[in-house]
Parts: sequence; C-alpha cells; structure tokens
Amino acid sequence: MTRGAILFAFNSPKYDYYVMAEHTAKRINHFLNLPVTIVTDESSLASSTGYNFDKVVTATPDKNNVRDWGIWINKGRYQAYEFSPYDETLLLDVDYMVNSNRLLKCFELYDDFCCHDRTAYYMYPGAEQEVLSTHSFNTLWATAVAFKKTHRTKQIFDMLKMVQNNFEHYANIHHFIANTFRNDYALTLALRIVNGHTTPLQDIIPWNLLHIGKNTNVYKNNDSEFNTEFTIVYDNWQRGKIRKEYITIKDSDFHLMNKDIYVELIKHG
Amino acid sequence: MDINTLLSDAKARFSHNSAKHYLKEKYSSKLILADQGGLWKADKETISLLNALTGDKVVLMDTFENPVEVNRQELLSKLTTIYDDTMKEWYKEAQELEGKR
Repeated sequence: MTRGAILFAFNSPKYDYYVMAEHTAKRINHFLNLPVTIVTDESSLASSTGYNFDKVVTATPDKNNVRDWGIWINKGRYQAYEFSPYDETLLLDVDYMVNSNRLLKCFELYDDFCCHDRTAYYMYPGAEQEVLSTHSFNTLWATAVAFKKTHRTKQIFDMLKMVQNNFEHYANIHHFIANTFRNDYALTLALRIVNGHTTPLQDIIPWNLLHIGKNTNVYKNNDSEFNTEFTIVYDNWQRGKIRKEYITIKDSDFHLMNKDIYVELIKHG
Repeated sequence: MDINTLLSDAKARFSHNSAKHYLKEKYSSKLILADQGGLWKADKETISLLNALTGDKVVLMDTFENPVEVNRQELLSKLTTIYDDTMKEWYKEAQELEGKR
C-alpha cells in the first residue's frame, strides 16, 4: 500500500505557487515522511528552485476564476484522484504549514475519505463556522483531504467535477455567490450527494482545521529550515485603536489564508 | 529584527485567552486514537467507563457513534497512556505560556 501527498500549484500573476509548493513539500517529507507529487503547468515549472518532487504531472490550468486580488487558479482539484500515483493520498493546499505529524492520523482513522468540517482561528476563539449561505450547510474544507483509491472516492471526485462544471446552478440552489469558484463549497456539495445527502461522521477529520485569519501576522521564531515555533500577532481593533496581541505556538499545523504571509515566511528557507 | 524586539516595539501583549484556545486545539487532537475498529478519545468519560465496566469484552459507542466490541483492558491501557502523556505535555506548555506577559 503506497502513501504520498499531492499538491496543485499553478502560478498566477501575483503568486508563485510552485515555490510555495516546494516549501510545503519539504515539510511534508520531513514531518510526515511522505513523497510528494505536484500537479502544475510548464510555465510554473520554470520557477523551480531545484527541489525534486516524487512525480511531476503537467496539466492545463483553468484560469477562469478570479478573487479580489486577481486570477485564482484553483479549479481542477477533482483530478487528484486520477493524478495521484499513491494508493492512499493526502491532498493539501500549498499554503498549509505542516509542523507536525498530525495528518498521518487521517490514514489510521478514515474508511477511505476524510476532510475537515470545522475550523478554528488562532486569535479568534469561538469564531463562527462558515456556511454556504444562511439557509444552507456548514462548509466542508478542501484544504486538507485524505483519500484511498476506492470506487466510492472515485465517485466523490467525479461528483466534484460535476459540481465544478455546474457551479452556478448549485449557487442558485444554495444561495451563495457563484462569481468565485470555491473548492470548499464544491466539496461540501459533492460529498453530500455521494453520501445520499448526508455527511457521515466517518468522512470528517475529528479535529479543527486551524486558520490564520484577518488582521493577523505570523513570524518565525528562528530561521532553521524546519522551524516549528511561530509568533502570531493580532491587530485587535478597539475604539478606533489597534491593540496588538500575540501568542507563541509550536509543533502545530496551520493554514494561512493570506498568501503574502506565507511568501514572507518561506523567504529564508 | 528579532521577534522580541518586534513585540516590544509594537507594545504587543500576550493573549492568555488565545493561548489557552490554541493549547486546547493542539492537544485535543492528540487524545484521539483509532483502535479495535473504532475511533476513541482518551478523555475522562471514556477512561472512567472502561474502569467501571467489568468483563474482558465490552461494547462502547465510539466517536463515530457506532457500537464497537473491544477488549476492555487493552483499550483502557492505551487510552490511559495517551491521556497521561498528552496531559503532561499540555501542562508543560501551558506553564511555559503562563509566564509570558
């Protein structure tokens, strides 16, 4: 039974996702002891700094998606099933900072698929969970997904493709804005459809996905390549003034919503 | 600029509330164990129940809410070890953070 991780990295005019993926891959190798496959395109490959991925899959990116900061090439994630050379795969966003071996537990606890259904923010204890819309479901998260190649998981990824191709239709039904394609939303809907319009507990990672959110910055406590100690500084706005608050964390994974912070963190190795 | 200078210049205060929250998130996940066909949390309820029950084989509801037959002593031993190790680590890091201002 082979295990590995897969990352999708297509450079946009604003961000070098390939370099982010190289950094994340090194941390996956180090902390999870897993080989890493990358799905990318020829132009992104040009920014390689020399890291050797286990396997490089080139694909044509779908650039038909935008966010407030520009083009966001996040479509096509459903191809993870087809492109993964492993029996068991960890599919991660490239801005997920691996600082521990915690994700390996997914392979022990799942039947054949698992993802997060709850999040927590480091500096906002008790923040509300995201929903597709007021009258719809809680969002599942495509940031970290583990899957085994089975008939059912193939159905999940096929369904993900179907939802991506009909995103506007599902946005109309569930009353969310379709302008920006979100893998999280597509996964939420795809998994529910495959499971007969339910979300079984067996498909959920039993701990929270930890985000670094708005008004929050992250600094490395030292410059070693596999540093796991960070200081998180939060701008707490009170009566028109900023009160800076911080905590220090160690050996704890997190997902950076702000790519600029990730770029800054990986500058020195 | 090193991190201590940065925090000092910014007059940043250590947030004990957020630190407590971070520790809970970090260590709660370490209490989870997949064993004997079920998923378990090494918490005081599960450990107490395993202690209170008698017999070699018992049926418990796992965290997926499925009834699972388990070897009681074997599961109790694993959960107790995980609980003890994790709580010691949690306490140690909490003590380190407690001293920050």
